[in-house]
Amino acid sequence: MKTKKNKAITIAIWVVISIVVVAGLYLYAGKEPFIRTTLSGLTLGSLFFMVAAGLTLIFGLMDVLNFAHGTMFMLGAYMGWQLYTNPTFIFGLMPFILAFSTGIMMTSAIKPYLIRWKLPVKWIEILPRIGYALALIAAFIGFAGIDILELADTAMVAASVATANNPLAEISPQLPFPLFWYRPILLFLSGFFIAFASSKPGVKTEFALKDNLIKKLLVPVGLFVLTIIAIIVRESAPEAILLMNGNWRFLISMLVAVAFGFLFGAVIEIAFIRPLYERAFFIVLMTLGLSFAITELVQLLWDPLAYQMVRPPLFAQPGKAANLLEWLRNGNSTIDIYGVTFPTYRLFVILLGLIMFTFITLLMTKTRLGMIIRAGVQDPQMVEALGINVKRVFTFVFALGVAMAALGGIGAGPFLPIQPLMGDQFQMQGFITVVIGGMGSYVGAFVGAIILGMGRAFGDYFALKLSLSPAIAEASTVIIMVIVLLIRPQGLFGKKE
Amino acid sequence: MNNQNTDDNILIVDNIHTFIGQFHILEGVSVKVPRGSITVLLGRNGAGKTTTLKSILGLTPPQEGKVIFDGMEIQGKRAFNIASLGIGYVPENRAIFRALSVMENLKLAERKKGDFARNEEFIFNLFPDLKRLYKLPGNHLSGGQQQMLAVARALVPDNKLLLIDEPSEGLAPILIQQMMEAIRSLSEKTTILLVEQNFLMASQLAQRFTIIDDGKSVENGLMKDLTNNEEMIHQYLGASIKTRKELERQHEN
Amino acid sequence: MTENINPKKNRFLTNFQDERIILVFLVLLIAFPFVMNLITGTGLNEGVTKFWQGQFIVFFIMAVFAMSYDLLMGYGGILSFGHAASFGGGAYTFALLMKHWAPNFMSNYRIMVGSINITEAIVLIFVFLAVLLISILIGLLFSATSVRLKGAYFAMLTLALGSALYILVKATDFHQWTGADEGLHGVPVPLWLNPTQNRLTIYFISLIFMFVCYMVMKRMVNSPTGRVIIANRENEDRMRMIGYNPVVYRTIAFVSSSIFAGLAGALYSIWNTSASPTMISAVMTINALIMTILGGIGTLIGPILGAAIMQTISQFFYTWFGARWPLVFGILFILIVMFLPYGIVGTWRLKRLDVKNGWKRITGMLSRKE
Repeated sequence: MKTKKNKAITIAIWVVISIVVVAGLYLYAGKEPFIRTTLSGLTLGSLFFMVAAGLTLIFGLMDVLNFAHGTMFMLGAYMGWQLYTNPTFIFGLMPFILAFSTGIMMTSAIKPYLIRWKLPVKWIEILPRIGYALALIAAFIGFAGIDILELADTAMVAASVATANNPLAEISPQLPFPLFWYRPILLFLSGFFIAFASSKPGVKTEFALKDNLIKKLLVPVGLFVLTIIAIIVRESAPEAILLMNGNWRFLISMLVAVAFGFLFGAVIEIAFIRPLYERAFFIVLMTLGLSFAITELVQLLWDPLAYQMVRPPLFAQPGKAANLLEWLRNGNSTIDIYGVTFPTYRLFVILLGLIMFTFITLLMTKTRLGMIIRAGVQDPQMVEALGINVKRVFTFVFALGVAMAALGGIGAGPFLPIQPLMGDQFQMQGFITVVIGGMGSYVGAFVGAIILGMGRAFGDYFALKLSLSPAIAEASTVIIMVIVLLIRPQGLFGKKE
Repeated sequence: MNNQNTDDNILIVDNIHTFIGQFHILEGVSVKVPRGSITVLLGRNGAGKTTTLKSILGLTPPQEGKVIFDGMEIQGKRAFNIASLGIGYVPENRAIFRALSVMENLKLAERKKGDFARNEEFIFNLFPDLKRLYKLPGNHLSGGQQQMLAVARALVPDNKLLLIDEPSEGLAPILIQQMMEAIRSLSEKTTILLVEQNFLMASQLAQRFTIIDDGKSVENGLMKDLTNNEEMIHQYLGASIKTRKELERQHEN
Repeated sequence: MTENINPKKNRFLTNFQDERIILVFLVLLIAFPFVMNLITGTGLNEGVTKFWQGQFIVFFIMAVFAMSYDLLMGYGGILSFGHAASFGGGAYTFALLMKHWAPNFMSNYRIMVGSINITEAIVLIFVFLAVLLISILIGLLFSATSVRLKGAYFAMLTLALGSALYILVKATDFHQWTGADEGLHGVPVPLWLNPTQNRLTIYFISLIFMFVCYMVMKRMVNSPTGRVIIANRENEDRMRMIGYNPVVYRTIAFVSSSIFAGLAGALYSIWNTSASPTMISAVMTINALIMTILGGIGTLIGPILGAAIMQTISQFFYTWFGARWPLVFGILFILIVMFLPYGIVGTWRLKRLDVKNGWKRITGMLSRKE
């Protein structure tokens, strides 16, 4: 009972402090600047949350400090922006990726048979290596002769006169079908060889049941169908998407960013993080290396330039809307909120953050998966002992975290320049958010993001008033972090060890 | 060794060696658990009893030796695979999930949908307290309630074997009694491999014993033979065992 | 676990640690500019010879920086992502004082010993003392945060502190002093230290600097204090029970490592005659981290090797792969992390138990569980 009382008192103190701070700011700044700064703070906080939510879940469950999270944020922005302005890149590569994953997904179907294969010891060692080598060769031949740089080629400011008159101006040329048809097959083979090698033929200590073959084939067959579709729509889909209404196009690009983030996160976890769980320290190095390599890859594909994404029509019309309804009807770029002119797109970003918070809360409290995650944060070994495949949950959480960061990226796309290092600042702030909120707590990440966003916004406001540069405000977020850590070393919502 | 009759032994641990880091913790442990019995692992603190349980379950996989469960070799498999074959585990530190409510703790242990609904009545008959605490979060439970929840959690799926690690540790005598009753009535349903420091409890519950000393299994046999063999008790369990008088005094309190 | 130890190979490894082999390398490096000059005949301060001296100077300085990181991480078991603060702090202190204070001072005062003007020497000594002071302060700042925080929280705080410094250095508010984004350029170094006119001097100074730092760190690691620092890494609670205060020893590790990094930074600032925000950024820390990993953690000789490899790679990869060479390097780095986890020297010495144990500790450094 005593702890309950203490808890109530602490919460009361926090509430009083925040009320005092907010009231003080209101009185000092005056109504209009206060509302404007608060709203920009919420916008920033929303973006911070989208980065921090993944970071905190990933750290809480598997002790991984993901230094590639900002890179994933950036990738999300790039992918969404590509679909929005020049979908050829995505549709041109889609058949390859789908064919490749069809091959890899065969693993669970073929593994039960392969590991029961009676092989001499020598072959057990050699066969996987042959498999990997063949996979490399097949992938190489499959890709040879494709100019990815040309596929990715996009104008820096897509809102140029050319695109206004001709929405298809950005479309890049693709290979004709006769030069293309065999490539997905090769990529499928490449994936299949990897599946073959990674299921360790002949190794008896591996474990896989022979049951449910049809169920196991469901995923690869589904992917196969998707591959066929992707091959068929390869050349027609980009045009169709570019001719679409901009709002729908933006929605699709958000979905693409999320889907991409999820798949990419899953691949990263399985291929690069999973082999290193025994050596936690190396995961940090690995994520650093991944971040480095991916950033360079993006610079190779799109050059180290800053691109601008056109705002979707719903947020693009000049003029100020008097209320929400008017905005939704006319698609104004700004809106009047209690006498403050505020960009509508930023309101949308705040909404996006709230939606995501609701989604995570529902996921964590209402679903079995959420239960497993909460249990796993405390003791993954015991969860495994209950008969739950924790590693699969790890993969899911990593993928989910990356997907959220990617959504943040495309969310930031229309009002921030899209460039290879755009995620770095968000990653840093995301880490600070997570530390403030307590590692492993998504509620903590939410509260921390709001505190940090507000801190940044009001810091900028005061810096401007005192004629200092915004850099001072940015640096001072570290002070918030230090203060919180001095009071509570485990963060606001962190559990004590 | 291979021609053992696996029919009456649900679990055969055959000479396993386990390393934790570079420490050789188990240096040859063999245990046999007959179907439908309670077998107890005895030994001093740090002898390797808990590690034996963890090695069976694959949490600390053995480097050498065999573990045969229900006629199937399970050493080297992942822990969740082993557990889903029908092994329930009650860890020693009452590792219930503090962030989850009692209900969620139990629901989490389901392997198939409906596991909990099927065994709900049995569990709540065994531990009526849990029904009352159903919605409380795990960190609000007392030590004894946590222990009950930990046992109950292992009962949610229909396990063929329960590995129970020190169920009486840190419990009040009255709760020990309750726990003993519960375990006894469990043994009518499944097979139990128990680790227990409380010799009185162990001797009253178990039919068979295996003594582990310094990472090796040194003796095994029927419990009633051991209780009569004071010499063996003192040789292997001396330090950890309380004298009969002490136990009786504890019992009266 | 049966390990076949080849006695012959093993002797080589123990020899490798021996100071004699270090001496051989030292002699080779001293001879290098002259030999190069003999071969190419371009003159000591010109052409290829001069270019390679430059490459080696950067290598020497980065090696000291990487070693100081190894002292902290490999021996102290402290993972800091803000180590560049010491390096950049040293560089900026040096550049700031040399640019804004030294010219003033030298035009106003003249200190003579007999007929020799020693003003310049006094100024340099003073500036280096200031560098020392700043490094110690930065070391104390970082170690103070580690009193209450552990593991990932600590790593994050160092990262945040480091990046706060980076942001402040880049802030336009201090433009007149720090030069904001561009950094400080054209730092007036004494003529005899000028990297373009007297490159050979800097070559030898940084060579000796690296050698001395190596010896000092080696001695430190093997001293009783160093032993306590290492033991602290293994088990802090046990050391506390024996009666050593872990905080004190962690502070010693932090401050000494910070001093080496700060001096390296000051030297780097001489070599570049500038100080730029990159020197204080997280990229710099990560560079040190990568060098240490490449060479091998907790070996001291490893980071030197790692620095040499990095320097070579960045030199050749650029000519081979063009402007996007970091992509190739990134992939290489990922492969090394996956397949060569103990680094190069570390993999060599893998069979030595102490390295292995140390690794186990460091590997568990970020893990809360257990």
